[in-house]
Amino acid sequence: MATVDKPQSATADAGARDYKVIGTRPIRHDGVDKVTGRARYGADIALTGMLHGAVLRSPHAHAKILSIDTSAAKKLPGVRAVVTHADLPDVASKVADLGEGMFDLRDLSRNVLAHDKVLYRGHAVAAVAADNVHIADEALRLIEVKYEVLTPVMDVVEAMQDGAPILHDDLRTEGFVSSDDAADKPTNIAKVFLHEKGNLEQGFAEADLVIEREIRTATVHQGYIEPHNATVHWNADGQITCWISTQGSFVVREQLAGLLQVPVSRVRVIPMEIGGGFGGKIPVYMAPAAAIMSKMTGRPVKMIMDRAAVLEATGPTPGSCVRVKLGVKSDGTIVAGDAWIAFEAGAFPGSPVPAGCMCVFACYDVPNGRVQGFDVVLNRPATKAYRAPGATQVAMATETVIDEICEQLKLDPLEFRLKNGAREGTRRVDGPVFARIGMLETVKAIRDSEHWQSTLDGKWRGRGVASGYWFNAGLKSAVTASVNADGRVSMLEGSTDIGGSRASISMMLAETLGIGAEDITPAVVDTDSIGYTDVTGGSRVTYATGWAAYEAGLDIQRQMCERAASIWDCDSKDVTFAAGTISGPEGKSFSFKELAQKVQSSGDPVIGRGVSDHNEPGGAFATHCVDVEVDPETGKVTILRYTAAQDVGTAIHPAYVEGQIQGGTVQGIGWAINEEYFYDKEGRMRNASLLDYRMPTCYDLPMIDALIVEVPNPGHPYGVRGVGEVPIVPPPAALANAIHAATGIRMTSLPMSPPKVLHELLKARAASGNGK
Amino acid sequence: MRPFEYASPETEAEAADLLADHDGNTAVLAGGTDLLTLLKRDLVTPQRVVDLKTVPSLVGVTPDIDGVRIGALTPLDELQQNPLLAGYQSLLDAIDGIRSVQIQSMGTVGGDLCHLPNCWYFRSGHGLLAMENGESLVETGENRYHAILGNHGPAKFVSASRFAPGLISLGARVRIAGPGADDAETIPLEYFYITPRTERQGVTILRPGQFITHILLPSAAGIQSATYDVLASEGLDWPLVSAAAGVQVEGGLVRDCRIVLGHAAPVPWIAHEAARLLTGRPLNEETAAAAGAAAVAAATPLSRNGYKVQMAAVAVKRALLKATGQLEGGL
Amino acid sequence: MAKKQVVSTTINGQQEEFLCEPRQTLLEVLRDVLDMTGTKEGCSNGNCGACTVLLNGRPIDSCLVLAVEVEGAEIETIEGVAPAGGLHPLQTAFLEQAALQCGICTPGFIMQAKALLEQKPNPTEREIRFYLAGNLCRCTGYDKIVRAVQQAATAQQEVQV
Repeated sequence: MATVDKPQSATADAGARDYKVIGTRPIRHDGVDKVTGRARYGADIALTGMLHGAVLRSPHAHAKILSIDTSAAKKLPGVRAVVTHADLPDVASKVADLGEGMFDLRDLSRNVLAHDKVLYRGHAVAAVAADNVHIADEALRLIEVKYEVLTPVMDVVEAMQDGAPILHDDLRTEGFVSSDDAADKPTNIAKVFLHEKGNLEQGFAEADLVIEREIRTATVHQGYIEPHNATVHWNADGQITCWISTQGSFVVREQLAGLLQVPVSRVRVIPMEIGGGFGGKIPVYMAPAAAIMSKMTGRPVKMIMDRAAVLEATGPTPGSCVRVKLGVKSDGTIVAGDAWIAFEAGAFPGSPVPAGCMCVFACYDVPNGRVQGFDVVLNRPATKAYRAPGATQVAMATETVIDEICEQLKLDPLEFRLKNGAREGTRRVDGPVFARIGMLETVKAIRDSEHWQSTLDGKWRGRGVASGYWFNAGLKSAVTASVNADGRVSMLEGSTDIGGSRASISMMLAETLGIGAEDITPAVVDTDSIGYTDVTGGSRVTYATGWAAYEAGLDIQRQMCERAASIWDCDSKDVTFAAGTISGPEGKSFSFKELAQKVQSSGDPVIGRGVSDHNEPGGAFATHCVDVEVDPETGKVTILRYTAAQDVGTAIHPAYVEGQIQGGTVQGIGWAINEEYFYDKEGRMRNASLLDYRMPTCYDLPMIDALIVEVPNPGHPYGVRGVGEVPIVPPPAALANAIHAATGIRMTSLPMSPPKVLHELLKARAASGNGK
Repeated sequence: MRPFEYASPETEAEAADLLADHDGNTAVLAGGTDLLTLLKRDLVTPQRVVDLKTVPSLVGVTPDIDGVRIGALTPLDELQQNPLLAGYQSLLDAIDGIRSVQIQSMGTVGGDLCHLPNCWYFRSGHGLLAMENGESLVETGENRYHAILGNHGPAKFVSASRFAPGLISLGARVRIAGPGADDAETIPLEYFYITPRTERQGVTILRPGQFITHILLPSAAGIQSATYDVLASEGLDWPLVSAAAGVQVEGGLVRDCRIVLGHAAPVPWIAHEAARLLTGRPLNEETAAAAGAAAVAAATPLSRNGYKVQMAAVAVKRALLKATGQLEGGL
Repeated sequence: MAKKQVVSTTINGQQEEFLCEPRQTLLEVLRDVLDMTGTKEGCSNGNCGACTVLLNGRPIDSCLVLAVEVEGAEIETIEGVAPAGGLHPLQTAFLEQAALQCGICTPGFIMQAKALLEQKPNPTEREIRFYLAGNLCRCTGYDKIVRAVQQAATAQQEVQV
């Protein structure tokens, strides 16, 4: 058996590992197409005979559908098909795992086209396909829907109360429900989660200081610049092809097969380039209707969502109510923690509250803890994953309570985190024990940073820190790679590339084979061309698809060694592969390129195959530091300086790692100080446009300093940890803590927009009767 | 969008006739930054769109008898760079507040003056007065961005014009043209706006077929001016509230002063009390703050926009200080 | 339905003639009639800049311009930025600085930055940020985009010297 150069589990000091490709910054393989406008995103596709679709959406937040009359729409010249939920097959309730959240197929079916009720404003009610998009829009105006308007419930805590308007008559609470709750009562609480560790009462009894706070966070949207799209062709032979900008071709395939009730292999999903996802482009919205209309007309149907529908009707992240109570000793040691977490699930169950429960205390060693989580339906769009889903909301609570504790006990906030921070062997309240992790290293990186060491002068200026955690995902990926005669390798993988991941995956394959990143030609391929690959999400791609690429590389190494052995007529036991060179007895050797040139003439093609189903992605920790200035007369918060330290395991492509840190941080900043959904009491979203849903622009921000900390993940051949999600977790709390340092006020709800900060400033001024 | 005809006249007379056609169910196309958004949502459904950018007499800045004459269709970035406008600081400040160079390249001052409200009830089809079943949606609804002044009647939206406050503070007049001889008039800009009591009244005095041709500004000599926008974010955004001030200071005392609030009322709101307070006094932090307080003394905020009262007072104070070079730092 | 009109214009230095209805925006015509899909649609109301093209040398949001308005005008789109067989310094800089992640906003940013550097060949960081404030990016946090524009500015100045 040929020996191969398998990387060992690395320790924290092995940053000195001598990688040739990993850690460099090659130009991404798809880069030229993207800077020249040649790259094809979902909306760019044009097929012969293509029709254009549009969706009629509910103007009401909560209503019964009494009737839908599509007859006038069907008669409009140029309209080729009109569909409603009645045209979808009946689907039984069945839970599918979308890779970043579970979803019931029946609920999904009713979300893509409303069944007997509309549950949020913007809920799709009907769809049309026409010769062009203008005719399709005109057709929508001709569809008559009769509604019986019902009272909506818009607030998560209100939705949990007895007497709240009920969304689903057949919904009953699952999970940790106490026995005195009437089990057969209609409710909006879909699920209850509970985790316990140690003895909570005893723990709090030992505390010298207990602080309990409630925070509220508003619904915010992932805000990808590219709206949703889907083009589907239902061919006469029964094969369904879907071109779509998606984070998971295979989960789209699974959803379509499930909703259309066809075998999975009948559906081929071709991923187009994707203009941002952040978790929001995993579920399908328009593809099922497009498919049915394609079947009806025999022509491909293309559907693009407009921005208002993206905001009103696609999964934002939950707004929440989070209560955190922490007990500490006077020296700052945490003795107990209690969290109560209620997340908006929107119209259907399935919010990321389980993840929120796992993350709320994960940065710390909490010996006695309890976490309760509630998945609550209400008349808002069904919530979906948004970058570390659930973690940002809970971190806002935990990290601001810690800030208050440090203030009262006069403890340095970084020292507090070093004392209590999670480390190898710490057990989370929900059970898992951490392997080697980098929480403390990120705190130290901030402590030793120039930012933290610098003084911040000036009235109305303040500095805040916060930490965050995301557990990352493993899941399944597949890669195949063929060796070409010129020594380059064509690599196929199924992870849609949102941020440059095909470059990082190529780099890991290149590292394994001892060739250059530019010698790999990567392609992101469709569901018929590669083995099952889970979503691009959960910060899993560099970890899992990278691992699959590594395995494919090992497979190629083995085959190349065997080929050399056959060429040299020796035993393959005597052939080794190291650093891109194949060596045999008597000093014989080939470079990878030389041997590749001989493959064609010496035997079968060399095709490497790799799969990954590993699940030790290693947790990701981050600690952020921010300086702000608050305008005392308007409540406006200006960010002066921002530093984000994050343990990335091994930075495969440092520029893209920095990019993830900076991008996630800026989304967190938007979440913290400006973004929110405004609903009026009829449940209608008032700011469903980028005019009124304000995301950060480059003029709002300074440079974001990304400090890469590398504590290699022992559970990965190259030490990789996922990096994409955790950066969005600390910013709101870090900013809240900075605002407190600048003004003395504690913000307890997001966003901390000028009207809200001003309100608190004026309240404080009135209470104290004088200045600050 | 619904179908419409497109016309590109070359003279004001041609434009007027084209606009008066179809019983006046027509629309002026200037920069398009408001009109196209309105068309895409069917908020206006003209049978004909008349592009005024192709009328050369409506573009450009020229000296006037005692000041300057600005063609209503002059793009904003051209205004910013034109040396004839160098002394009209409150106008230039307002352009700086538009944090999108694209919008500055496309937008025109005429288009801005006629910009329909950004009120989200209006923008989602409930009309200017946002009535449903005979009741105002704004009063009990999401009114955080709505009016704190001039809101006793059914109109609760705020004026969307970013330039009107600054122009009014400089004493601007507008020249209006139309198809008939009696359609032509030149009036002070503050009389251009109305607070409607019915949907049909609209937000300006323009009748079907009329359009703004020029903005006339008197000489800026001796006038110090500024516009101060209170912004929620530094990027492209509408001000939460703004204030423009034009002051003449002589011998250390304010001789004349005009203070106008923007985005606080259905029309640009002239703060007469505040101006009276300042006249004859020095302009410093204390008097500017007093002027600010006076400007909002009669404010009648709605259920969710109380914060605007404080912000409007601050905007007035800061506009006054900025105009006279007393405002520090990036604020 | 209003009759279609013929519009003659110059796009990326080439004469183009197309048929369109008055209600079709320039963005729609570029993408759906002329198959030039490099210019992207993000919001349809001028708030994201993904549809930025240069009209007579000035950056505009093409989602807010009617196609019929560009009769006789000169338009530059992302498809015309790269010189034959190479890349524009901005494109090179975006690649080298890793200033794109999903890439959907990149064409708009490159058009906007190109207009900036033509106006101000040596912009400060603040000037760059102001000039790009009408373009939204949700992936990068803007850091590397600003650095890419700085790199391109330096590169272009070196060529001139």
